[in-house]
Amino acid sequence: MRLLDGTSLRGRVTIAYGLLALGLSLVLAIVTWSIVSNYLTEQRRESAISQTSDNAAAFRFGLYGASSPCTPARLRVECGSAERRPGVTVMDVLNSLPTSDSAASMVYVDSEWYSLTGRPEDLPQDLLESALTGTTADQRMVVGGQRVVAVGVPLEQPGNALFQWHPLGELDDTLQTLRITLIAATIATLLVGLAVGRLASTLALRPLAELTKVADAVARGRLDARLDAEEDRDLGGLARSFNQTAANLERRVAADARFAGDVSHELRTPLMTMLNSMQLIQNHRDELPEAVREPVDLLGDDLDRFRRLVIDLLEISRDDGGDRGSREIVRIADLVRAAADATAGRPITTVEPRAEFLVMQADKRRLERVIANLVENAEDHAGGCKGVTVAPGGLGVVITVDDAGPGIAPEDRNRIFERFGRGETSGRGRGVGLGLAIVARHVMWHQGTIHVTAHPTGGARFIIELPAK
Amino acid sequence: MSDTGPVAHSLLLVDDEPRIRRVLRLALEDEGYEVAEAANGLDALAALRRQPPDVVLLDIMLPDRDGFTVCREIRRQSDVPVIMVTARTDSHDVVAGLEAGADDYVTKPLVAKELSARIRALLRRVEPANARQPDVLVVGDLTIDVPGAEVTRGDAVLPLTRTEFKLLAELAGAEGRVLSREQLLSKVWGYGYFGDSRIVDVHIRRLRLKIEHDPASPKHLVTARGLGYRLVS
Repeated sequence: MRLLDGTSLRGRVTIAYGLLALGLSLVLAIVTWSIVSNYLTEQRRESAISQTSDNAAAFRFGLYGASSPCTPARLRVECGSAERRPGVTVMDVLNSLPTSDSAASMVYVDSEWYSLTGRPEDLPQDLLESALTGTTADQRMVVGGQRVVAVGVPLEQPGNALFQWHPLGELDDTLQTLRITLIAATIATLLVGLAVGRLASTLALRPLAELTKVADAVARGRLDARLDAEEDRDLGGLARSFNQTAANLERRVAADARFAGDVSHELRTPLMTMLNSMQLIQNHRDELPEAVREPVDLLGDDLDRFRRLVIDLLEISRDDGGDRGSREIVRIADLVRAAADATAGRPITTVEPRAEFLVMQADKRRLERVIANLVENAEDHAGGCKGVTVAPGGLGVVITVDDAGPGIAPEDRNRIFERFGRGETSGRGRGVGLGLAIVARHVMWHQGTIHVTAHPTGGARFIIELPAK
Repeated sequence: MSDTGPVAHSLLLVDDEPRIRRVLRLALEDEGYEVAEAANGLDALAALRRQPPDVVLLDIMLPDRDGFTVCREIRRQSDVPVIMVTARTDSHDVVAGLEAGADDYVTKPLVAKELSARIRALLRRVEPANARQPDVLVVGDLTIDVPGAEVTRGDAVLPLTRTEFKLLAELAGAEGRVLSREQLLSKVWGYGYFGDSRIVDVHIRRLRLKIEHDPASPKHLVTARGLGYRLVS
C-alpha cells in the first residue's frame, strides 16, 4: 500500500474495491474467452474437415465412378483402384464439386496438380506431406491476407489428395464481437466496483467525518463538544472513550480555572489588608525613621506587583470560567487613544484619519486591558513605548504597539503569549506573568488576531487585527 | 486629607470580615472620613436609623441577608448614596446591585485611596453646565430645582436619589443635546473613558420609572441608539 500512502482512506477503499472487481471480471473474461473461442474454432475445424472429406468422396465418384460414394475411411479398401471414367477430365470433376463454403479447391492426381482456385504453393509443407502419405490433416494459415483453415484429404490412389481451404472470416467476426463484449463487461465491472467502493467507504466513514469535526472543535477549545454515536455498534467504543476523554479534559480545565480563581479569591482579603495598611504607612512616610523608609518602599513596590498578579489571575480564571462578557458599540480609535495615552501618561497614539470612525461590538473593559497591558509591557520591560497606531486594514482595523527594547527572538514569538511564558532568549523580565496571555485571550475573544514582529528600527512590534467596520 | 472639606463626611462600612473592616476603617479615617461599622445587614439598618451616614459601603456577601436585600431596604427609607462592594465586575452581581438601588460599585481588592475618589464623586454637588444656565430648569411637566436638588411634577416632589437627580440635571443642562455614556459617567460618577456603562443604563432605567408616564416607551428621556441619551420636552 506504499503506492497509495498519499491517498485518503476513502480513496484507498475505493481503489481496492475497483481492483477487486477488475480482477474478478478479468478472470471471468479470460476463462470465458478461452472456452468459447476454443469451442468455436474446433467446431469450425471439424465442419471444414467433414466438408472436404465429403468433397473427396464426391471427387472420387466423379472421376472413377462407383456404386456408392467412397467415404474417406473406406477409400482405399473398398473403392479400390479404378479406371477413370472415360471422357471425364479432372477439371470437370473439380468444377462439379459444391463450392459453397470453400475458398479454394485443388487436387493432386497422378503426380499432377489441378487447381480450380488457389495455388498449391500456398499449401504448408506439413499438410501436403500428411495428405499425400495418406493422413487427413488440417492447418490454419493466412492466404492473401485472409485467415483460412486448409484441409488435405488423401484419395484412395496412393499419392493423390484433395486440398481445400475454408475461410475463417465469419468465426473471426464472432470472436471479435465476443472480445469486445468481454472487454466492455470488464470495464463496466471495474466502474461498478469503483462506485460501490466509493459508496461503501462514504457510508463507512461518515461517523469518522463526524469524529473529525468534533475532535476539531475540542482542539479549538470547545471542550463541551461530544460525539453522539455512543449507540453505534461498531463505533460506540470509540465514541464513548472519546467523549470520556473530552469530559475529563473539560473537568480538568474547569478545575484548574476554579483552583486559580479560588486561590486568588482567598488572597483578596489578606491582600486588601496589606494594601490598605501599606497605603497608611506610606501616607505617613515622613514620620518613619530614616532606616525603615527604603524597606517600606521595597515592600510597597512588591505589594503592587503582587496585587497585579492576583488581579491578572482573577481575570484569567474569569475567562476560563466561561464569562460571556458584555458587548457594546465602541469607536476603536477613541478606546485605543484613551487606554494607551492614560497608561503611558503621555499622548502616544496616532490614528489614521480613515480609522477615526471605525466601530465594532466590543467589551470595553477587555479591549482596554489589551491596549493597557501592551503599553505597560513596553514601558516597564522594553525600554518604553515608541508609539501606538490605529489604521484601517486586515480584518477591519490594525493596531500596532512599538517598543524600544531588544526585540523578541523569532522562536519566542508564540511562547510569550502563554501563561508565564517568558521568552528564553530575549532579555529578562520580558513578558513574564500573565499580561500577554490576557492580551492574547481578549483579542481572541473579539475574534481578532495578534502577532509580534521585529520593528525595522529595532524593538518589537505587536500587531492586532480586529473585525471593525 | 484636606480636600474632603472642613466637615468630615461619615461612612457606614458594612462587611462581615473583621480584618477588612478594621483596615478599611484605619485607612479611610486617615483619608479624613468618619467611619462607622456594621458586621451584617441587621446592624447596618439599625446603624442607618440611629445616625444616617453620608455614604454606605455595602459588601454583597453578608451572613444574614445578601447585600441586594439590604440595599433595597436602605432605599425604602433613605436616598443615601450606596456603593456596592463586589467580587467580580462581570458577574450578575453588578447589575443586580445597581438594580437594587446602588449608586456605584467597586471591586475587591479595593484600596482606600481609590474608594475615596468614588465617594467624593458621589458627594459632589452638581455644577451648572454653563454660567448662563438658570437655577430652575423646566422639561415638559417637570421642574428641576438645581440648588434645592428637587424635581417636582405639579405639586408633587419626585423621590429621586442624589445620583438620579445629578443624572437628570446633567441631561437637562445639555438642553436637548445627546450625552454619551462616557460623558455621563464622567460628569455624574467621575469616571474616565473606561467606566462601566451598565451603571448609566441601569440608572437611566430607574430614572424613567420615576419621571416617565409610560416607562416602557419613554417620551422625555430617550435613547440615541449607539450614541447615548438625551432629555427632550
